[in-house]
Amino acid sequence: MITAGIDMGAKNLKVVILRDGQVIASSLIRVGFDTQEALDEGLQHALAEVGLSKGDIQRVVATGAGRNSVPGADDAVTEVRADSAGITHISPTIRTVIDVGAEEGRAVRCNAQGKVVDFAINEKCAAGAGAFTEAMARALEVPLEELGALSLKSQQTVPMNAQCAVFAESEVVSLIHARTSKEDIARAVHDAIASRITSMARRVGVEKDVALVGGVARNKGFVDSLRRDLDMDILVPPDPEFVGALGAALIAAQGA
Amino acid sequence: MSPFQKFQEWHQNRHQYAQEWKARTGGKVLGYFCTYVPEEILYAADVLPVRILGSHEPEDVTEPHIFAMFCPFCRDCLAQGLKGRFDYLDGIMISQSCLHIRQAFWSWQLHIPTSFSYYLPMPHHVQSPRAQDYLRGELAQFKGAVEGWTGRTLTDADLDRGMEIMNTNRRLMKQVYELRKAPNPPLVGADAMEMVLSSQMTDKREHNQELAALLEKLPQQKRDGDPPVRLMIIGSEDDDVAFIKMAESLGAVFVSDDHCTGTRYFWNEALPQEDRLMAIAQRYLDRTPCPTKDWPERRRFQQILRLAKEYGVQGALLIQQKFCDPHESDIPQLARLLKENGIPSYFLEFDMTVPLGPFRTRVEAFLETLREEDLF
Repeated sequence: MITAGIDMGAKNLKVVILRDGQVIASSLIRVGFDTQEALDEGLQHALAEVGLSKGDIQRVVATGAGRNSVPGADDAVTEVRADSAGITHISPTIRTVIDVGAEEGRAVRCNAQGKVVDFAINEKCAAGAGAFTEAMARALEVPLEELGALSLKSQQTVPMNAQCAVFAESEVVSLIHARTSKEDIARAVHDAIASRITSMARRVGVEKDVALVGGVARNKGFVDSLRRDLDMDILVPPDPEFVGALGAALIAAQGA
Repeated sequence: MSPFQKFQEWHQNRHQYAQEWKARTGGKVLGYFCTYVPEEILYAADVLPVRILGSHEPEDVTEPHIFAMFCPFCRDCLAQGLKGRFDYLDGIMISQSCLHIRQAFWSWQLHIPTSFSYYLPMPHHVQSPRAQDYLRGELAQFKGAVEGWTGRTLTDADLDRGMEIMNTNRRLMKQVYELRKAPNPPLVGADAMEMVLSSQMTDKREHNQELAALLEKLPQQKRDGDPPVRLMIIGSEDDDVAFIKMAESLGAVFVSDDHCTGTRYFWNEALPQEDRLMAIAQRYLDRTPCPTKDWPERRRFQQILRLAKEYGVQGALLIQQKFCDPHESDIPQLARLLKENGIPSYFLEFDMTVPLGPFRTRVEAFLETLREEDLF
């Protein structure tokens, strides 16, 4: 049986195709203004990988901020449920999954069956999300992909109060004027997001094992800051940004 | 046509209603800031009490008058006054509840003068044995002030009439709420909210007639389809109908509430006794309390639990106006109490406008957890 999970995120669209519960294809594409175009392209891309066509997919479940604007989806589930289903499939011992995407941070506590026990979402402020790292990378004039590695070279901790992305940027500017090294500023940025994410995760209670998913999990500097802040080991699965789409595809298979 | 259409119209055209009422009756309209205001005495004097509520639009007029960490509701209320939307009011009043809404009242009094303005020192320690005599004395003073303002003496017969109008309204709304106990209730939470809100905006004699007509029609209304997930909403002042409708579009139905725009407002009646003012005083001291007045015993919690059980509540949304400390400090304890009684809850912080998209995700995820609970 072939199912698809489509995670229409704030910035990227992720597609995962399963055959009998096994991932056979996936794709990630930027969502612009035309969500339909991104959807067609994303699906096409994934299907082409394995020589399938749309008609071969038996069930589609959508998730993500745009889950209700996925035409043709058989069902829609929240990111909370999709994350929980996805991560417990990858690693059944996970009890807390933290998902940091472009514009939202989430913490979900789940049980052994992948059922959601409690969750918290932070979306009022960009300081706890990927968009914040983008803005800070711009201020530091480093490519986003290099921000993580840069911060790992930091020699000292610089406190930074990231209550608001715009004020934080002005704080970065002050640090630049004070001749603070780029490495230390990069780490301060990651520490600040980690602190916000940790606060949110503590609202639901952090139970081991803990996993980090979402695009920001690719940022090694942030992972390092979060590990230090939570003072525990964190699993980062190989394709962290696909966990929501995987969860949706698994739910599609269960619901068939 | 929805049997609730009249209530919706009243709710949406509250100012027009009050202006027309004034033109029609030649009477005075008084705006009140808190539901501890003894409306019985105002009805006795043929004054129309209307509640001052916000409009859920972003505003930029209250900043010089209200602290930044005061709740968005008190700001929204004051904004309505500063924007001139309540220009028709002849008077305003508040009964002491919290300092945020009191600030909106003082500021209103300062900037928007009316011929009558009254601060009623409603006691906080409603559980004190001295509260009855104290409040009775305050009500006597208030009655005197209303008599001075309207130029008429209020007799026991007037007070009886005031109590009867209020009690009838309470009784009828309670009967409507009773219908929400059905597995697939003939009314949704948005209907109930607009019904109670409109009772705070219209002449209750007219509202009572509409309620009586509603009660004729409503029990026959059957809803088809799967029974929705039964939710209760609990917390600060809440007249955010848009939020309720959004949540109910996700396969849920609100079957009860603990809000001062809901059960806290109308649940109990003034019981007749020889001393009318004492009857009114006891009614306000015994009502489901606002958390500012709910100590040392937490009476509100027991009422919430009773409602949750009687109405077959599966999950509760705990909402709080941002910076509403009295509610916020109750929430952890309340969430625990509900959990111990098998009712999961989820917390949401409300602002003048709520982000419907992200809130939708949260409510939907909460409903997913409730539905999964059923499966296991």
